[in-house]
Amino acid sequence: MNVLKTSLFAFFVIVAFAAYAQVHDSASAGEIRELQVVEVSETRLTAFSSGNKNETLDSASLKRYSNSNLADLLAAESQVFIKSYGLGSSATTSFRGAGASHTAVLWNGFNIQGPMLSQLDLSLVPVNFLDDIKLQYGGAGALWGSGAVGGTIHINNKALFNKGVQASCNVAFGSFADRQQQLNVSISEKRWISSLKLFRHNAKNDFPFINTAQYGKPEQQQSNAELEQYGLLQENYFLIGKRQKINTRFWYQFNDRNIPPSMTQNTSNANQKDELYRITSEWQHSGQEIELLARMAYFDEYIYFIDDATTENSKSRSKAIIGEAEARFSVLKFDRVNVGINATYNDAKTADYSRKVNQNRTALFANYKIQTAENRFNAVISVRQEVVDGKAIPFTTSIGVEAELFKGFKLKANAARHYRLPSFNDLYWAGVGAKGNPDLKPESGWSEELSIVYKYNYKNLECEFAATGFNRNIDNWIIWLPETSNIWSPKNVQEVWSRGLEYKAAVTYKQGNFKVQLSGLYNYVLSTNEKSIVPNDVTVHKQLIYVPVENAQGSLSVYYKGTSLTYTQQYIGYRYTTSDNKYYLEPYTLGNVHLAQMITLNKLRLKAYAQFNNIWKETYQVIAYRAMPLFNYQFGICIYFR
Amino acid sequence: MKTKQLVITALALTVAFTSCNKDNPEPEQPATPSASAYDNGVFITNEGPFGSGTGTISFYSRSNGALTNDIFEAKNSYPLGNVVQSMSVHNGKGYIVVNNAGKVEVVDAGTFASGGVISGLNSPRYFLGIDNNKGYISEWGLSGAGSVKVVDLNSKTVTATIATGKGAEGMVKVGNKVYVACSGGFENDSVVTVIDATTNTVLSSIDVGPNPKSIQVDANGKVWVLCSGQWNMSYTMLEQPGSLVCINTTSDVIELTLSFASMYSQPFNLVTNSAKTTLYYTYDGKVYSHAQSATALSTAAVINRNFYAVGVDPTNDYFYCTDAGNFSSNGKVLRYNATGMVVDSFTVGIIPGGLCFK
Repeated sequence: MNVLKTSLFAFFVIVAFAAYAQVHDSASAGEIRELQVVEVSETRLTAFSSGNKNETLDSASLKRYSNSNLADLLAAESQVFIKSYGLGSSATTSFRGAGASHTAVLWNGFNIQGPMLSQLDLSLVPVNFLDDIKLQYGGAGALWGSGAVGGTIHINNKALFNKGVQASCNVAFGSFADRQQQLNVSISEKRWISSLKLFRHNAKNDFPFINTAQYGKPEQQQSNAELEQYGLLQENYFLIGKRQKINTRFWYQFNDRNIPPSMTQNTSNANQKDELYRITSEWQHSGQEIELLARMAYFDEYIYFIDDATTENSKSRSKAIIGEAEARFSVLKFDRVNVGINATYNDAKTADYSRKVNQNRTALFANYKIQTAENRFNAVISVRQEVVDGKAIPFTTSIGVEAELFKGFKLKANAARHYRLPSFNDLYWAGVGAKGNPDLKPESGWSEELSIVYKYNYKNLECEFAATGFNRNIDNWIIWLPETSNIWSPKNVQEVWSRGLEYKAAVTYKQGNFKVQLSGLYNYVLSTNEKSIVPNDVTVHKQLIYVPVENAQGSLSVYYKGTSLTYTQQYIGYRYTTSDNKYYLEPYTLGNVHLAQMITLNKLRLKAYAQFNNIWKETYQVIAYRAMPLFNYQFGICIYFR
Repeated sequence: MKTKQLVITALALTVAFTSCNKDNPEPEQPATPSASAYDNGVFITNEGPFGSGTGTISFYSRSNGALTNDIFEAKNSYPLGNVVQSMSVHNGKGYIVVNNAGKVEVVDAGTFASGGVISGLNSPRYFLGIDNNKGYISEWGLSGAGSVKVVDLNSKTVTATIATGKGAEGMVKVGNKVYVACSGGFENDSVVTVIDATTNTVLSSIDVGPNPKSIQVDANGKVWVLCSGQWNMSYTMLEQPGSLVCINTTSDVIELTLSFASMYSQPFNLVTNSAKTTLYYTYDGKVYSHAQSATALSTAAVINRNFYAVGVDPTNDYFYCTDAGNFSSNGKVLRYNATGMVVDSFTVGIIPGGLCFK
């Protein structure tokens, strides 16, 4: 097996060098001008959202985390809280005090949350496979459908024509036997692009920690935390004539992870293997009058979980087929209309459901945007009606406004209805001591937000300040509770009210080859259960568990010629671990340092880098009794051929 | 410049907000116990939050009616671990079975000072003291292989493994025989395994009914087993309902089997009064009684409320009934007198699932 994998890698390296060796003439200026006729159609996020707070992770942070996973990147560099079960273990998000399944994750516009759990393990998404990451805060049910409640993570791929042959390889090693190899090759011609990204990652994750949950607080080594994963992403882009574009993408990944015990559990023999295939294709036609888009996706995922402590030996397979079409046109000079349809088919098979289950969803959606010249003012109204297995679920709408009141000063406002369909587990589970509830209603509610963004440039100084206040209600929040028969079953139990303030400030100073960036952010989020169908529920008016009321982050980056140094520090405040708020976890502060040096040798560019995590050796827990590593590091070299 | 001021104010605001820490939770300070505080009262085992949390033990003092929560960590400065299943007192020692952590914590039953750990267990459920040197621990075992572990109480090590039916759960000792209810664990089973407590060998296996969990001895020395029934594949209804079964311990044959009517509710929590003449169990959201001489199930409930666990105080026949609430926050114990009238209630830890009377 290992021989096969190694030879496969060797093969791709040879192909890459062979391709590199070919001489390519660059396109003439005339051709480039001609190519510009075909405009890249924007996603609905950029074309038809307004008033939401958006965060784009800059390319520098994507590069810093190129051999890491999406969960680690977002935890360190974004404003969202990442709920991680430990190094190499599963991780999910909490946007503005909502749950993991209240975050839609869209890969080039396709929801990849999966039907069984309705949430994506972000630790399994390699950053190297992504070219662009955007976080959209707040509800956006009318734009993205089910799950876009707390926020939406957009992970996208992009490619530029006429770039010739490019290749890079990246080799990294780090603490706890962490090894990673990556290879990216792309051939970019004037009418087509083909690219391949490969990665392999394995780690022991046997970090030492003080087990405060054992007699005498002994130092222990994390056990059963080994990880091995590999995958590939293959993309093709074609230009047809002057106005059409087609792309195809294929994402394959295999993950084999042992599941470590908690500090109160002593040992674990659990193991989970995931295998996924994601195939998508998109066609775009940019006519003078009308812009047409059609996209298709086929996702196939296997999960094989074994735990000999519980005799659990569960195999599951889920599939999704998604088709989406959009038409965009203008009626007036200053407006833009989008109408579209989405059809999604999901099925899943596992021993824990009594039968193979499936779901058909059809959604009609429309967006209407008005925009003044230079985009000083824009407003969008969006509507969506979804039908799930023949039943119409509540009509969803949103309205957003953005206005630049004076130079650099922008006001944004958005109100949106959102919803989340129950997951297949919620509906169909039939296992020991637990059963799903097919009569569950979707969770739904409204979210509103108001932001001010102020950008100010003075000589070499760029300043940005943003503040957002938000409010969100989620009704029919689903919770699993035991029935009188002692069988656990989900019900629409709570009404959750979340509200908060988010601040961000950033200053950039640039002079020649020298650049300094300083940024800080602070969030204050209350997310409480306001109503419950359970009589005398002690959790009413209490903060949801694992939602920090406060978190803050600061970062300082210095760039000089080919050298970069970044320090980030994050503070995560108290998090309650029980729903009556009697138990909680202590706050923690983490400091990370990233150092990179670029070296250019003729056509070869080389980057050497080092990442140091938790440099203050903070002992902390994100989830109760889940050990986290103290100081750890990663070193790597990335070579770019061109 | 107006704009400049704005920027400065904004930055200052950010700094101000970042540096102040509001809403710090008030920690609950557990009371420091006196030298042997736990001589006369009831231990309540709280399973702890589902997943990766820790269980705790609460103590209710009969002497002064005081309740102390989380007495183990207060004394020993470390938590018990994941899923505290049960506790038994044997020869002045408390044996606390911690299911998911695969261990039994041994404490001094008077002071609760840690006195070692019995480890290397797989999903242990209950402890039963056999004599001064030996104890039995029932466990669901690895890969569903139910067993009883024989423990040397002096060295606190497992000396032998006795294979039983799947999901070994409740145990009782009658004379020299130990009866083990085999609940099926994560699967299904229907037997009571009978063990010779001297030789640690299996004497017989009695087929009693679907998934027996709790087991008691009555005043006549007969063993009563509560079978919890078996769900259908989709967990929508019971394929086989629960039953109450009486075993003659001289011949080890079944004397009586009483089937429950409901195809949706399982009976649990079989306990006895102090005289061991009446059995109690929870069923269909209520607590029912069953006299040892009765030949039919009673239809009138003693207490009209659903509980997670029930215990009867051998000193005064008070019922200690637990309400686990939403299973993610502190639960309650409600006390009722022998006639089923509520006496009082108090808040204990998360998911109170076991009662141990001392």
